[in-house]
Amino acid sequence: MIVEQRHRARRGAVAAGLTAAVAAVFTASIALGSSAVQPAEALHALFGGGSETANTIVNTVRFPRALAALMCGAALGVSGALLQTLFRNPMADPYILGVSSGSVLAIGVALLAAPLLGLAPDSIPSLYTAAFIGALAVTLLMTSVSGIVRSVTTVLVVGVMLGYLSYAATSMLAVLADIERIRAFTYWVFGSFSGSRWSLLTPAIPALAASLILIALLAKQLNALLLGEEYARSMGMRIGAVRVLAVAAAAFPVSVVTTVAGPIGFIGLSAPYLARQLTQTSDHHTTIPYSALVGALLTASADLAARMLLRPVELPVTAVTALFGSPLIIYLLLKGRGVFY
Amino acid sequence: MIGAEGVAAGYRGQPVLEDVALQVREGEFTAVIGPNASGKTTLLKTLAGLLKPLKGVVYVDGRRVSEMDVGELARSVGVVLTENVRPGLLTVQEVVALGRYPYTGLTGRLKAGDRAEVLEALGDVGIQHLADKPYKVLSDGQRQKVMVARALAQKPKVLILDEPVTYLDPKARVELLLKLRRICRQRKIAVIASLHEIELALRVADRLLVVTAGRVEAYDSPEEFVEDGGPVELYEFGEDAGFCAETLTVEVRPQPSEGFKVFVIAGAGRGAPVYRMLTRLNIPFATGVLHEGDLDYFVAKSLGGKVIAEKAFHQISLEKLEQALATASKADAAIYVSHPAGPINAANTVLAEKLIEKSVPTIVYGDAAVKACWARVERLRELEDILKQVAKQEGRGIPKTYLIQAGQKSS
Repeated sequence: MIVEQRHRARRGAVAAGLTAAVAAVFTASIALGSSAVQPAEALHALFGGGSETANTIVNTVRFPRALAALMCGAALGVSGALLQTLFRNPMADPYILGVSSGSVLAIGVALLAAPLLGLAPDSIPSLYTAAFIGALAVTLLMTSVSGIVRSVTTVLVVGVMLGYLSYAATSMLAVLADIERIRAFTYWVFGSFSGSRWSLLTPAIPALAASLILIALLAKQLNALLLGEEYARSMGMRIGAVRVLAVAAAAFPVSVVTTVAGPIGFIGLSAPYLARQLTQTSDHHTTIPYSALVGALLTASADLAARMLLRPVELPVTAVTALFGSPLIIYLLLKGRGVFY
Repeated sequence: MIGAEGVAAGYRGQPVLEDVALQVREGEFTAVIGPNASGKTTLLKTLAGLLKPLKGVVYVDGRRVSEMDVGELARSVGVVLTENVRPGLLTVQEVVALGRYPYTGLTGRLKAGDRAEVLEALGDVGIQHLADKPYKVLSDGQRQKVMVARALAQKPKVLILDEPVTYLDPKARVELLLKLRRICRQRKIAVIASLHEIELALRVADRLLVVTAGRVEAYDSPEEFVEDGGPVELYEFGEDAGFCAETLTVEVRPQPSEGFKVFVIAGAGRGAPVYRMLTRLNIPFATGVLHEGDLDYFVAKSLGGKVIAEKAFHQISLEKLEQALATASKADAAIYVSHPAGPINAANTVLAEKLIEKSVPTIVYGDAAVKACWARVERLRELEDILKQVAKQEGRGIPKTYLIQAGQKSS
């Protein structure tokens, strides 16, 4: 019991630290950019004050962008935590498993091929729908693959290859499309929050919030899954129902994130890993909220770095997240069968 | 408590094991034994409701398992499987608390009652002191106990375990099995466990379900099973080894050899270790005069030694003494294993002295009083050394060095 208290105190401190860091990054995000605004003025503008220029920059460009980064990061972190337990694989991540690429491909089809059929593809609802279909298809495919091959790394390789396939298809589609569309599409294809406008973001906010809550409600089932499906079933879990729910709960937020910002890699991998390390537990009641916090922090920081590092040129966010994500994967692979989750 | 009738167990319509019927009552321990790939795991998973029976019916507490919903089943049947679990950074207590799954609400938060059940389960298995340790730092034996405690936290009426002790060291095996039996009695639950260790199964189980080659070979109490010669059939190794029904052990027999052979005078169980040593050294032996029913009698017989025995509780007759003397005279050496001498076996001392008179090299093991002897040893190690030396000389006499050394020791 003493140990429990010590853990609680530690987790409290970690939560406070993370929240403070998130607030700091958020403030920096709305203050920094091509034209810098004083942090105080930026915060003031957020609540309707400040000069008109600051108000416009903050409220129409930087605030939605920072909010998108935070929410998408939280969603990716939580989705990664779910996927890692579902696949019993500490290296599972929506980007690596090809879930994000599935969305990209589906959006690509909608965006580039649909005009050929005389449809209006770039309405925001159809983008979201297409992304969800793509993400769901890949997640289902990967779940059945992991049912056949037990090896942690084989599943990863299959996922990565699936990602390449969908990029190949996307590139071919891009060749067929007209030049204006390509420019927008190729920019988004690398992952960037620069397109985060309120019109795109408004439906995403409740959708992401809902999926965070849904995944948090799956904590009990995910904990049981830590012992494997057979044990989970023997303890009274409805495997079939939980699987369907979990697959949908993982694919949905990823599809939303991909629609908003394109494929963002490595957050779903690193956030749950760091959350477990910081809290020293695999209990999903703890790892899910902490994965959300860490994911939000990592993504908002990565977006800030992507904007600031090579000013005025913007980097794709995944270029920044890969800087810490790829070494982490290599580390986990070298360490052998993952101890975590 | 749990029963099965006409059950066929298997995967995808392919039966692995057919026509199983059993009935395990509360507080009863049933061991499932049989060779690898005989369908034990499949049967246990079918009994646990993890697999649907291809034929027949499994019922728990009078209710058909196939009609129970998963939650009800989980509150009735707990299982411990063979697969390794990797619950990440979960502590022992957290793993055990997962057993409360069928009792907790939507979020899985534990109430006071749940915590009490977790503590009780930890206590029953004797791992309270490990409660806050991460599961991953535990030994195999401790991990297995955690999984048992987790199953107990489900408050089941039936506990089903698949090879719970196979990967444990011998001490942990016995410890866990005894714990399981105590839990079985105290919690009044029906326990079904598959075991590879027939010698342990015979000692802890109330009933044995023996499966081989896709069918149930026997379903009996251990005593009946042994009486009917079950283990002898199950563990048929030909000439090399056999099951001793009296000691409930598997004994390895010496290879038949023409060379050096020994006669052992023993009794009261003192000869058993000597027989085993001779078997290990591949030295054929005859022994006598034993009494029927003596431990030495059973061990010597199961090791394939020639036994000259008198009826139990009868004084050794002249006839047996002479028979022993005749056999021993043909031996290359004799070992007189000191054993309590009384009126009914006094003839063994006479036998020893006759052998010494007849110049059969006789080694006295222990402190038995004899007028003279070729060598006297205090420890089995020394006995082994002498025998090896003697055997090397193709069976004639004990080397002088030993005689002197042993003589000095004994004087």
